[in-house]
Amino acid sequence: MGCDVVTVSTDTQFVHLAWQRSEKELAQVRYPMGADPTGKVARLFGVYDEATGLALRGTFIINPQGVLINSEVSYYNLGRNIDELVRKFKANLYMSKKTNEVCPSKWKDEGDKTLTPSAAMVGRVHEALGS
Amino acid sequence: MTEVLKLGQKVPDFELTTYEPTRQDFGKFSLQEQIDKKRWTVLFFYPADFTFV
Repeated sequence: MGCDVVTVSTDTQFVHLAWQRSEKELAQVRYPMGADPTGKVARLFGVYDEATGLALRGTFIINPQGVLINSEVSYYNLGRNIDELVRKFKANLYMSKKTNEVCPSKWKDEGDKTLTPSAAMVGRVHEALGS
Repeated sequence: MTEVLKLGQKVPDFELTTYEPTRQDFGKFSLQEQIDKKRWTVLFFYPADFTFV
């Protein structure tokens, strides 16, 4: 899709290997599984839970210049919606090419309605969205 | 205490030792390499192996 996904937990690479081999849900996994046993990277992104030594469910998009442009953090008990992650990535990719446009909440893919902020749109977002 | 990153900030370089299922071998992830290759990165943190993600 034009990006590299890396999963990260505070488990070691040895545990990643064992888990990927034993869990049938992971049989098709192709992404690298990062090991952060010291929590250094999780701390950098603010998702390290000092009380448990575990990383919270954080998702971060970093652009090709190395800038953090999207973040989402959920607590232990809520799984993430991958469709929303894909939407956010596609939107950021699109906006990196069309830098004067912005993607509203209902934007899903190229061709969907975008907005181009300007003085004319102030107080007229409803009309600009055509809704 | 490390300062937490904010949106719009350049991420300090970091590396991770990885397990690479495609090669069934260990490897390395480096943010600097991603920048050199002009690649987008999605980092996906989760609490623990052998649980739901």
